[in-house]
Amino acid sequence: MKTSTLLTALAAVGAAISAVFAGPSGASADLRVVATVADLGTLAREIGGSHATVTILALPTQDPHFVDARPNLALELSRADLLLTVGLDLEVGWLPTLQIGARNGRIQRGAQGFLDCSGLVTTLEVPSGPIERSMGDIHPGGSPHYTLDPRAMENVARGIARRMGELDVPNAAEYRGRADAFIGRLRAHRARWEQTLAPLRGAPVIGYHRSWAYLASWLGVRVVEHLEPRPGIPPTPAHVARVLAIARRDAVRLILQEAYYADRTARVIEERSGARLVRIAGGADFAGGQSYIQRIDQMVRALSRAWQRAESASAATR
Amino acid sequence: MIRRREAKRRALGCAWTVLAISTVAAARAQELDGGAPPAEADVATTPDAGSVAIEGDAAPAEPEAAPRPTDAASDASTPRSPSGDEVSAEDLAAIESALTPEATAGTEGGTSSSASTAGSPSALQRLLPDIAIVADFALAWFSDDSPLQSGGHDPSSNGFHLQQLELSLRSVVDPYFRFDANIVFSLFGVELEEAYATTLDLPAQLQVRAGQLLTRFGRINATHPHAWEFADQPFAIGRVLGGEGNRGLGLEVSWLTPMPWYVELVASVTQANGESTARSFYGPNDLGVDSPADLLYVGAVEQFFALSDDLSLAWGLSAAFGPNGTGHDNRTEVYGTDLYVKYRPISRASDLVVSLQSEWIVRRRQVPGDVLSDVNGYTQVLWRFARRWAMGARHDYGSPPYGQNGEATADDLDPEWTDHRHRATWALTFWPTEFSRIRLQSSLDVPTWRETPIFAAFLALELVAGAHGAHSF
Repeated sequence: MKTSTLLTALAAVGAAISAVFAGPSGASADLRVVATVADLGTLAREIGGSHATVTILALPTQDPHFVDARPNLALELSRADLLLTVGLDLEVGWLPTLQIGARNGRIQRGAQGFLDCSGLVTTLEVPSGPIERSMGDIHPGGSPHYTLDPRAMENVARGIARRMGELDVPNAAEYRGRADAFIGRLRAHRARWEQTLAPLRGAPVIGYHRSWAYLASWLGVRVVEHLEPRPGIPPTPAHVARVLAIARRDAVRLILQEAYYADRTARVIEERSGARLVRIAGGADFAGGQSYIQRIDQMVRALSRAWQRAESASAATR
Repeated sequence: MIRRREAKRRALGCAWTVLAISTVAAARAQELDGGAPPAEADVATTPDAGSVAIEGDAAPAEPEAAPRPTDAASDASTPRSPSGDEVSAEDLAAIESALTPEATAGTEGGTSSSASTAGSPSALQRLLPDIAIVADFALAWFSDDSPLQSGGHDPSSNGFHLQQLELSLRSVVDPYFRFDANIVFSLFGVELEEAYATTLDLPAQLQVRAGQLLTRFGRINATHPHAWEFADQPFAIGRVLGGEGNRGLGLEVSWLTPMPWYVELVASVTQANGESTARSFYGPNDLGVDSPADLLYVGAVEQFFALSDDLSLAWGLSAAFGPNGTGHDNRTEVYGTDLYVKYRPISRASDLVVSLQSEWIVRRRQVPGDVLSDVNGYTQVLWRFARRWAMGARHDYGSPPYGQNGEATADDLDPEWTDHRHRATWALTFWPTEFSRIRLQSSLDVPTWRETPIFAAFLALELVAGAHGAHSF
């Protein structure tokens, strides 16, 4: 029968392939870590040192809400020992497909190789009262954009180190040590960053997407309005006009927007008010080897530059 | 007693039953939560739930559940890792002999270093399956009284249509299985479209699906209307695989090979009968299963190449073998290949998506006194030019059935289909959000055996309510 011939052929091909590749697929580093986003990936790289190989699923230039579940990502997950996720439904539209396709019990939800990092932070913007999608694409568990607050990332670093130590016991002390060293450096930089951005404290800013709760809580800025009328709904002319009026009325200096969104509407506000647009990278430049501290440093410098430009422009018109 | 509660308060009661029947499951949920046990305790003593009289045998469930949180809390606060001490081979042997085959089930989820999250949904909610409802409505107009729509969800006559109302339930069953059910309602009935278990952790990169499932022949067959770029199915699918696609009760094994790129091998065996499924096989003409040869076998090789961050290519080869309903021992073979190329720049800010999808199917059937062969396929292009807008174009083709003598002949399955058929389709899609979709589509169908071509226009609305399902590539 043709059927049995085909099945036999498939089995034979399969056996041959597995014989050839069984060797290399074994472990090379002690721990294979996959992070859904670059900020968690760069943290894992920092903590894992030479004991971990880290890959990421969503590029920092990409909106992490809408990632294609490309099968090569499932392949990464099939070989992973630890999966780090942002959680709070950020990856709900694509990660489950990849997890199932990976056929890897170690990184399924509930397993030790699955770490939802949102459990390590105090979440903000948790909706109170009944919620529904008429409110836009809201996150029922709270805002998932906590990687922008270096204070929140301290505990994330500790949690990642702890979990790596549980999975790779011989190197546990080293993971802990690297996390502590990272936190020490982060604190030193944070003091400097806070000093640089002290003038922003209390300042009104405009956001594009509702991504800034944690950054605002850290820097003490007030997000007075968003360009998206509701999370996930693109700006409409009437809404943009309203935002422009607010920008003028409150003398807003900064517009915060993730670099993966088109900046046309934000530019309109920038041209017609005293506000300056700051395009903030969606994550660390992971492929380029950027560390988390370098990434936040870059953001702080961009914020500071834009603030100064807005201040001097406003001084000139006065 | 618990049943009575359920009657009073369905949603909560359902979860309560789960809670009461398996306090173990609840305790595990708490453990997963780390510091969350207080929230669990709140639920247990909430006046709302307490107001329902707890009678006799229901009462023990509470005291039993109550002490658990403290257990869980102490579990979570003490690090579970063996703090660096090496485990000797002797230790391992002792452990292995102590653990009978049912072992290890509870060990995986245990420790979680996560702190409690103020806004996370309660454990009760998390034990319920994810529920989503997908509704597809269409307004259709055809220039012909008897258009040749072949898809089970296609609008097929002038006027308003409910293409489908799909209730989708998904849940992880335990650390080993997940369960998916898609129940489709039409105005006149209910159909269990899919209901299958998927394994999550078989060794050797194997995965098994079992139950009622759409086989993974080609690209479109295993998907639902929600994932389609057009309001109707390519007619190749309807003609060869069936209006409801190639699906049935059965078993599927797939293997993710350890190749450096993505290569997946899929093999399934399913029932060859179905009202509007497995059309080239038994379909509605069920001759029964007398031997394994009377089942439908599907094999597929799927490969994926990430050509760059922005460019993807997926290529599949599929084959299906089984009996057909034209007579005892008459067989059908179907071979297909599919190609999907997608360009979506993600290395810079962009909403652009351009994709090309093409699928071609060759079919051979033994029928009384002849062997019929035909070729069917489609090629479609999608261009998403703005965040919420996309345009698509598709060409469908179906050949006449050729007999053994190489000449076009008649086919009992599609008596009218004696010549070439082409169809050109154009669609404009607007997504207000990823939860709704409005689509305007028009097509020109040229079945050359008819005197006049058929024009068609659809206006379709899709709504997705409930849990956000994850999309496959």
